[in-house]
Amino acid sequence: MFEEPYRWMEAVSTRHNYVQEKLKMGQPVLSVPYDDGVLVMGFSPQQGKVFEVYDRIALGGVGHPADVERLRMTLLDMAHLEGFNRSAQDVTLARLLQFGIAPALKQNFEEIQRAPYIIRLLLVELDGAGHPNFFRVNYDGHWETFKSGTVIAGNEKVMDDIQNKIQDTPFATFKLDKALEETCRLWNESRKEYEDDDKTIPKNLNQAFDRWHLEAAVLSGKVERRAIYRALTEEEIGKLKSSVS
Amino acid sequence: MSPQFDPNISPGDFFWLLEKSGYRWNAQINSSDKQNGITVTHGTTVLAFHFKGGVIVAGDRRATAGNSIMYERCDKVIPIDDYTLMAIAGVPATAFEMARVLTHNFEYYRRSQMQVMSVEGKIRALSKLLKENVGMAVQGLGVVSPIFATYDIRSKKAAIHFYDMLGADFKISTHTATGSGSPTIRGILEHEDLWGESPLLERSESDAITLAIRLLQTAAQFDSATGKARPEDNIYPTVALITETGYRFLNDQDLSSLCKTSLRRG
Repeated sequence: MFEEPYRWMEAVSTRHNYVQEKLKMGQPVLSVPYDDGVLVMGFSPQQGKVFEVYDRIALGGVGHPADVERLRMTLLDMAHLEGFNRSAQDVTLARLLQFGIAPALKQNFEEIQRAPYIIRLLLVELDGAGHPNFFRVNYDGHWETFKSGTVIAGNEKVMDDIQNKIQDTPFATFKLDKALEETCRLWNESRKEYEDDDKTIPKNLNQAFDRWHLEAAVLSGKVERRAIYRALTEEEIGKLKSSVS
Repeated sequence: MSPQFDPNISPGDFFWLLEKSGYRWNAQINSSDKQNGITVTHGTTVLAFHFKGGVIVAGDRRATAGNSIMYERCDKVIPIDDYTLMAIAGVPATAFEMARVLTHNFEYYRRSQMQVMSVEGKIRALSKLLKENVGMAVQGLGVVSPIFATYDIRSKKAAIHFYDMLGADFKISTHTATGSGSPTIRGILEHEDLWGESPLLERSESDAITLAIRLLQTAAQFDSATGKARPEDNIYPTVALITETGYRFLNDQDLSSLCKTSLRRG
């Protein structure tokens, strides 16, 4: 069936459509710098959007939870083995992506008998010098880097809109409180892209806080310990809720 | 690229991941093996005791091989995770490797399973490493006698455990010490706890630090494998505290003034 190149290209194209359709409702995960580190946040109906991967690396995921989980475990295994066999300093996102999951994702996507990963990933690290590096990985292994923050979402228009706004906002000068408020505001603005008749999607921040979970974490440059990832506390989220509602 | 589910493997097990990658920890016991004149580095005094705010863990800085002093800046109190420290006596090569395995084991478990490993689980993890190290220990190349101190964030209690070389663990409710200099100070610790100004558990952080510094200096007086504080060379003992906020090491600046006041003769 796939012996002709055209048929193979057609099959790959169909897979793109299939995955994009499946991803469409994936809710945004944003990551931005702030004056002391990096913030990662996203709302979701159940926990499973923001994770710690290694000492200075965090992950955000959109897509099928089982696929996000498989790639999260792959990243965890690679990072911890590298950190053990060499050093924590050798565990960098560029290496994990370039020599790890990106080629594997591409190969998996183009082997058309295999089920594609229904994912979009956001990866961020605060490097040893305190500089944030933002990465976005697509289901087909394509990845991009960003300097001033990035976002993933199932809907590409939502993703592009938020990305443009992130680039126009001086997040790196903000305190954590303000960076959180601004990311919530950008998330709220993206609501207009979702269809009004879908009752499962919150229409505004108030509904999102009431019905869904806000998952937010920071990679904080102030922490003296090796692992600098910290999930925001309920107190911090409660304070945010009262300031943006 | 996807991990296979194996019902025989405990999820989040870093040992399994290491072995899968080709790493081998344990050595076979072979009674014909001898040290063959190899002199391994060891020597130490490390101690831990409960005080009012948590647990204090301290150690000297000297590493010896036979009669030779090999190193005077050895860190024998090693952070394992945010709430756990391991103080090591014995062969540093094995002890440091154990600490490295444990660090990755606890962090891998916490990140992959999205929950902190229980204190019982952490204690058992070190037991397992010691048990698998028996082969090296009986051949005289890898004896390790660690103190494991941690803070249980679930029960909000600090815990100290002492191990023998076969991996048996003993929960310590007051104080412990290990290493070649420990016999000298174990008696002092017991005396201080029973007949001192107050039981160790009721002492303040500053009193606990003062006592730890004095004990290590005393051990160094009687044990050549334990190093004294040498302020003129910026060599101080390692002193760390574990409280409800996690571990904290005293820095050289603090230790400089603390050693000065603690070691002043009365």
